Amino acid sequence: MRYRSQRIAYAYFAVALFLYGLQLAFGMLSAAKYLGPDPLIDILPFDVTKAIHTNLLIVWVLTGFMGAAYYVVPEESRTEIYSPRLAYWQLGIWTVNGVVAVVGYMFGWTEGNKLLEQPVPVKITIVIVMLMFLYNIFRTMMKGGRWTTTENVLVAGLGLAALLYLPALLQFHNYTVSIFYRWWTIHLWVEGVWEMVQAGLLAYLLIRLSGADREMLEKWLYVIVGLVFIAGIIGTAHHYYWVGVPQYWLPLGGIFSARVQLALFAMAMWAYFAMRRSGFSHPNKLAIHWTVGSAIYTAFGAGLLGLAHTWPSVNKWTHGTLITPMHGHSAFFGAYVMVVLAVVTYAMPHLTRDGDEGRESTLGYWAFWLQAAGMLGMTMAFATAGIAQTYLERIMGLGYLETQLKIQVHFLMLIGAATVFSVGAACFIWDFFRQRPIELFGGPGPEVDADRPAPEAVLT
Amino acid sequence: MTKRQTRLFFIVGTLVFAGIFVGLTVDSHRQFGRLTNADLITADVSAGKDVWHDNNCINCHTLLGEGAYYAPDLTKITQHRGVPYLTAFLEDPSRFYSEEQYRRLMPNPELTDREIEQVLAFLDWVSRIDNQGWPPRPILVTGSRFAGVEAGARTADAASDEPVALGQTLFSQSPATCSACHSTAPGVQLAGPSLAGIGTRVATLLAEGGYGGSATTAEGYLREAIVQPSAHLVPGETFSAEGRSFMPDNYSQLLTDEQVDHLVDYLLTLR
Ligand code: HEC
Ligand code: HEC
Ligand code: HEM
Ligand SMILES: [Fe+2]
Repeated sequence: MRYRSQRIAYAYFAVALFLYGLQLAFGMLSAAKYLGPDPLIDILPFDVTKAIHTNLLIVWVLTGFMGAAYYVVPEESRTEIYSPRLAYWQLGIWTVNGVVAVVGYMFGWTEGNKLLEQPVPVKITIVIVMLMFLYNIFRTMMKGGRWTTTENVLVAGLGLAALLYLPALLQFHNYTVSIFYRWWTIHLWVEGVWEMVQAGLLAYLLIRLSGADREMLEKWLYVIVGLVFIAGIIGTAHHYYWVGVPQYWLPLGGIFSARVQLALFAMAMWAYFAMRRSGFSHPNKLAIHWTVGSAIYTAFGAGLLGLAHTWPSVNKWTHGTLITPMHGHSAFFGAYVMVVLAVVTYAMPHLTRDGDEGRESTLGYWAFWLQAAGMLGMTMAFATAGIAQTYLERIMGLGYLETQLKIQVHFLMLIGAATVFSVGAACFIWDFFRQRPIELFGGPGPEVDADRPAPEAVLT
Repeated sequence: MTKRQTRLFFIVGTLVFAGIFVGLTVDSHRQFGRLTNADLITADVSAGKDVWHDNNCINCHTLLGEGAYYAPDLTKITQHRGVPYLTAFLEDPSRFYSEEQYRRLMPNPELTDREIEQVLAFLDWVSRIDNQGWPPRPILVTGSRFAGVEAGARTADAASDEPVALGQTLFSQSPATCSACHSTAPGVQLAGPSLAGIGTRVATLLAEGGYGGSATTAEGYLREAIVQPSAHLVPGETFSAEGRSFMPDNYSQLLTDEQVDHLVDYLLTLR
């Protein structure tokens, strides 16, 4: 860490990881309800636990993104964060808002719109917090005046994410139209601007970890983000199947979402070649695992498994079955969970007292492999359950409830794999909190390790 | 390629495709009204949409295939079940399903009578949206599309034009989808009574009395049961309320006379 204000990231990461743990608890609860019977049916029914589970995911990943930005931008801009005080206020309001939303869901305070359940006051607060964040980061970048491609892409991604949240504030009379615009937020987030954030963070990590040439990496960064948008924007069409929109969205969805593959595959290649060139010599091996892991897992979960059900003639049968969470889980994990954990793992040695980049943490490796393997298992469980459901319910015409009884064994498999996954996540969280952070407020000197040269000076 | 060129690629590519997307959006708006029958969005449908959202139904169910996977898809539910049945169900789901049997149950949503009316109006509007014919085959809450088997092979030749075969196919297909409520296996009670042995049963009923309708033959009885379900009620707490059958009463409009005949012919073979 070269800049004192990068410490802000620690607080964001801590909140993010805490919410991550909570997200998994509500996920386990929901999975148990799949097995049933449900003793909590009148206190905490499935719809509540599931909404909390998915909302926490979005909130903690965004918290992680913001923490990552507070860590990356000072280094890229070569200056302190414009206002650390604003950053802490922002985190405070964000967290309180999140708690209010979760407690609200438990008491039925919800808009009941998938992934956008937040009641209007909560939504408005989210927008305000995002504006605080963007203002702070933008002023920092202005102060530094370097405007590196990496930080531009990262911050543009976050800015666009805030912008695309706005349609969620609109109310539509017609349910189909409200579905149409819901995807402007959700799809254009996960297959557009969040992907931009992921690519920006990967670029930063690859530059730091591999020492590959910045010019070269940033050149390809534009190509990748360009490919994502070229295919991803019209690729929104794959959510317009069977919801009452014009016919032409069907072929568009098939063609354009198949083309997203190109972007995701390019991203994996980009990370792999950047690392190979430098020979994996950076001491923080774990951060390398998470970084390369993220690029590869994205190609699998988002790419391959997205492709598996994106063709209209296939989706016609799988739409609304457990095939969808098969893909949703592995895609979110690979693209966004892994990249946030990569930044956390990379940054931690700079945010803790021992500050050893070569710290060999057995627990850290367990965390990586148990989560990667656990998620693979969960993906398989959802996949087998979804295939059986598609066949029995959609093709054979067996009733929904009878079908669910027949696929109980896959739910057991799901819970088993989810347990492995949760143990891995617990290892990560524990490994994070057991390290003592540097002093978060005040503390010595303007720059904690100003005597260390700028990372780039060593690497390029 | 230089960085400047790749940046240009990114910016121009994004703008071009965003432009096309916006163009398609404008065009879609021109068609939404027709595809979704926007003229049928009454005040009740609109209020029903709010009931749907306020009660978080989407986080258990899918509608138009979107939502959560814990409970059945409801896109076409009002075409499989009539309003009387759905009203009774929403008043108290535990009357119709047991958690012991299916390991899950819908919690009582505690809706007022008015809210139930509205949410059903909303679901009925949804069921009429032109959504490229999805689902390709009916999605049932319970039971089986195939008569008499839980998950077995189709027994009738769908291509046959013999009345009994046509009736059997229709029994499990839209618009009739009788199989959503009736099994033809003995003792398997879904939302409606099992129709196993109905051919024999009707003859006995007519001969022994206890029937208050106007039919005199088995054919007549079955025809009446389909087009005028409340004329005679099969006793059962979950089959009817206040003299009104939970079976949809609009088959005389949904089906042609010929189709009803085919169904009757088919049912008569169940002995
Ligand atoms: C906690 C999950 C949950 C919520 C929330 C929920 N449902 Fe259900 N629903 C179910 C389940 C499970 C079934 C399957 C039947 C059963 O087991 O009760 C079901 C079945 C149904 C059926 C079909 C009944 C039949 O026999 O055809 C309808 C209609 C329905 N729900 C409407 C609604 C509406 C409207 C709402 C919101 C007001 C809602 N549900 C909220 C879980 C839920
Ligand atoms: C919403 C569920 C539902 C659907 C769909 C439905 N029924 Fe029914 N049906 C019932 C119920 C409930 C009863 C018992 C109450 C009554 O007598 O009307 C019943 C009764 C009957 C009876 C009388 C049975 C007897 O033992 O006397 C016949 C025959 C019948 N249905 C045929 C059909 C046919 C044919 C179709 C398809 C065109 C159909 N039903 C669709 C719910 C349904
Ligand atoms: C990181 C990238 C991605 C993430 C995080 C992601 C996540 C998700 C999630 C959470 C859903 C469920 C949404 C809902 O029902 O509300 C979903 C649906 C879907 N995704 Fe993705 N996805 C990604 C990339 C892709 C790609 C690249 C493709 C295609 C090649 C794809 C194809 C689909 C399709 C077709 C559906 C709809 C399934 C249905 O409802 O029938 N996704 N995705
Ligand atoms: Fe998508």
